[in-house]
Amino acid sequence: MTRKVKTMQSHPVIVGVGRTKFGEHYEKEPERLIEESWLKASEEANIERKNLEAAYLSDYFLPITNKLGLEEGFLSELTELHVPMEVTRSFSSALLNACNAIQAGRYNMVLVGGLEKMTDRWDKIRDDLMLLEDPWSYYAGCTPEANHELMLRAYIKRYGITNEDLEKLNLALAQISVKNHLHATKNEYAQYQRKITIEHVLKARKNARKPLGLYDFAPISDGATALILANEEFAKKLTDKPVYILGASSATDYLTFPAREDMTRFLVSEIAMKNALKMAGIKLWDIKIAEVYDQSTVMEMISLEDLGFCEHGKAWTCIHESCKDYKGYYEMNGKKLFVNTNGGLKADGNPLGATGGAEVFEVFKQLRGEAGERQVKSDGKLQYGCVLELEGFGTKGYVYILGRN
Amino acid sequence: MSSEPIERRVSYLGDRLRGRRCQICGKEYFEIRDYCGNCGRKSFGKMDDIDLFYDKGKLEICTFINEPTNKFTKLGNYIYGIISFHNGKIRVPGRLTDHIVKDDEEIDLSAFEGRNVVPRFRRRYSVGRSDVIPTISLAFTLADEYYPHQQYAIMKPNKEYDAPGIVGYGVYTSKFRIRERNIERSVPFIDEDAITASVEAGKLALIHSGVNSSLVGKVYVGSESNPYAVKPIASKVAQVLKLGEEEGDMQGVDAIDTEFACKAATSMFKDAASLVSYPKSNIQYAMVIGADNSQAAPRDCPGGELDLFVGYGGCAYIFGKHDIIAEIEGWYSCTSDTPDFWRRDGEPYPMHGGRFTGDPAYFKHVRKAAKKLMDRLNLKVEDINYFVSHQPNVRFPVRVAKELGFKEEQYSPSLQVAKFGNTYSGSSPLGLAAALDIAKPDERILIVSYGSGAGSDAYSLITTNQILDKRERQKLTVKYQAGNPFLEYVDYTTYRRLKLGM
Repeated sequence: MTRKVKTMQSHPVIVGVGRTKFGEHYEKEPERLIEESWLKASEEANIERKNLEAAYLSDYFLPITNKLGLEEGFLSELTELHVPMEVTRSFSSALLNACNAIQAGRYNMVLVGGLEKMTDRWDKIRDDLMLLEDPWSYYAGCTPEANHELMLRAYIKRYGITNEDLEKLNLALAQISVKNHLHATKNEYAQYQRKITIEHVLKARKNARKPLGLYDFAPISDGATALILANEEFAKKLTDKPVYILGASSATDYLTFPAREDMTRFLVSEIAMKNALKMAGIKLWDIKIAEVYDQSTVMEMISLEDLGFCEHGKAWTCIHESCKDYKGYYEMNGKKLFVNTNGGLKADGNPLGATGGAEVFEVFKQLRGEAGERQVKSDGKLQYGCVLELEGFGTKGYVYILGRN
Repeated sequence: MSSEPIERRVSYLGDRLRGRRCQICGKEYFEIRDYCGNCGRKSFGKMDDIDLFYDKGKLEICTFINEPTNKFTKLGNYIYGIISFHNGKIRVPGRLTDHIVKDDEEIDLSAFEGRNVVPRFRRRYSVGRSDVIPTISLAFTLADEYYPHQQYAIMKPNKEYDAPGIVGYGVYTSKFRIRERNIERSVPFIDEDAITASVEAGKLALIHSGVNSSLVGKVYVGSESNPYAVKPIASKVAQVLKLGEEEGDMQGVDAIDTEFACKAATSMFKDAASLVSYPKSNIQYAMVIGADNSQAAPRDCPGGELDLFVGYGGCAYIFGKHDIIAEIEGWYSCTSDTPDFWRRDGEPYPMHGGRFTGDPAYFKHVRKAAKKLMDRLNLKVEDINYFVSHQPNVRFPVRVAKELGFKEEQYSPSLQVAKFGNTYSGSSPLGLAAALDIAKPDERILIVSYGSGAGSDAYSLITTNQILDKRERQKLTVKYQAGNPFLEYVDYTTYRRLKLGM
């Protein structure tokens, strides 16, 4: 599990980001979405597309949802580029390949793009998701939501949370959803730009007769994201506000959730974070803003523990206290942490292959002080932020540490 | 699943819950692993086969599912969770089956967690009508309810008999019932069918007999409700129950389906008995199963009269010459081409000849077979302790028994149709099981089956001393299943829905 991680010598630099609104894009072909996002990113980066030496794309389901294979070909038609292009699943996996290539000195500048068109297969997408996540659980009757609920049950049992504490935990999870919806009201790209209340969340759970309800889960979305990644030398010519990728790491775990040793945490997040911090050569609490992968409210809570911001079994208490009179951040271990300021997957949306791009987009904008209404007010300069993206139900985890220097 | 190779692989592992255990470190895996993740290359060739089919698990954590994925929607609401075996050494996903969660019911998940569960062989999920039927044993029921956990303890045979007979048997009926007029009938859960009932019955017969499944050389499955027109139930039974010697992913067993309306199974009793007696067959035991999700058209449609009587269940009998509980004294079969009940290919429900199913059909054949066998064996009515006949309804078996001169105490113990309905191929075998459940050593049972079309098989059986020894090995007796406190009664609409299946 432990391996030697070297501090990065040269850093890939994000010079521009772009994205579409997340939500239902019935009227748009998938190509139109990726076109919109990559044009915005290249405009922001102020680059000539001829300078792009490669492209890394990501989508989970396009061959299934839209019967599209060879997505690279579409991008080639859109860009008139004939450079190497590769497709992977998550945005983070595409970004990791791009980082490796830039650092290896293979390319000076590349495009990273993520795309998903889930609503085109609305009636079957949950089966697809579950089969991808864990076939044996699917065969046994699992749903994409059920694993989150089981994780919560395991968490409650593991830490012996009962009575009033249990009520507080359930409330804290509801507060996560309310908080994320609140953040999304200031995000013009978010799928749900409206406030919700604790009552909404609790009522949905009651209707479902389950520990988690509609408002505890991220939606099904369409959308695309893109960014332009360059080496330091190239980036200097393009921007005076570079955002560096200081740490980039991933880890892998079993496909079958029930077979994992510990069902109350995601091992992949812990490993990826530890390695990313080492690469970046910074301390955990140098990070003031985090975008975590909240496919559910439980996932946001658990991820904060996995990343180390909070002790295992304790995040809900911090969340609950912070949200009593919410000031825009969580207080954990006496420190402030801005979490999912774009509304998270819950309210911003979750078009799988593009989602990681939206997380990077947010941290990029915040670090550059360009997040507009959403701009966080940190004590001192906002120097570092991190992004966590998961694939499957914690089968893969990617952590990126972004910084201004 | 539209891919047959995937279906084969998933059901091969999932039906039997096959796994492996590392000899070096003891780590256990669900699925066949050639080496252990902990021990690496040195564990090659040191992985033992395990399976969880006869095991008892614990439901560790669970949740409630009311919006299943598409293929599970017919299950409605259900409890899904994580089940651990061997003190947590191995964990698998699973759903609770045979459990209807009502629409307005408050659910307390902690009431399920921590309880023991038994893996059950069921349909996995819905597929199109022309697809291969997916199955799995990642369906579980609570061990402290209707279906208790029973160990499968193989017994070393200690006594060989001169004549063949029944070595053990199993009866399986579902947990659900419909009660109408004066009878109760067993109703399958939505993931059950003739295939799952056959496997269940066979499993219970192995448990009761203590026979090593690898010594079963032939299996016959008689059914008239096989969900396939072409594809045997017997192959599934052989694979799941590991009948015959296991060689790679194949079983060294002969497996065959038979069909002759309700006598498809009883007809094969003599074949099984003959086979185990034939010295060159090299077959020590043969299994005969009769199972049906008895079909009937809805009540207001042609043939719908049957809908008042049909049940669901399966019976399995293992024949051999070792440690038998009942010896076969003799048999007689008769046949005539009488079209009293039939189902044309491609039709979902059978038709019947109304009044014609009585005198010229059922009574004529049952009477003939019973009388002929009694004559041959020189038996008088008083020589027989239990009389068992096919039970399409309550009236027929009583009338024929009385006509033959039997008294109530001779025919009523086996009369089970009012508890389970007509289980078609499993009907007279179920009656026989009810008699065997209570018979003392050295008692004589006369069983006469009836299959429309038409024919009857009559057998005379004499119980041995060993019937008492083996009785303790079976918790799921006929009586246990008839009067169980966990039986769940459903209304007519639910009954039709469950019977139609996934």
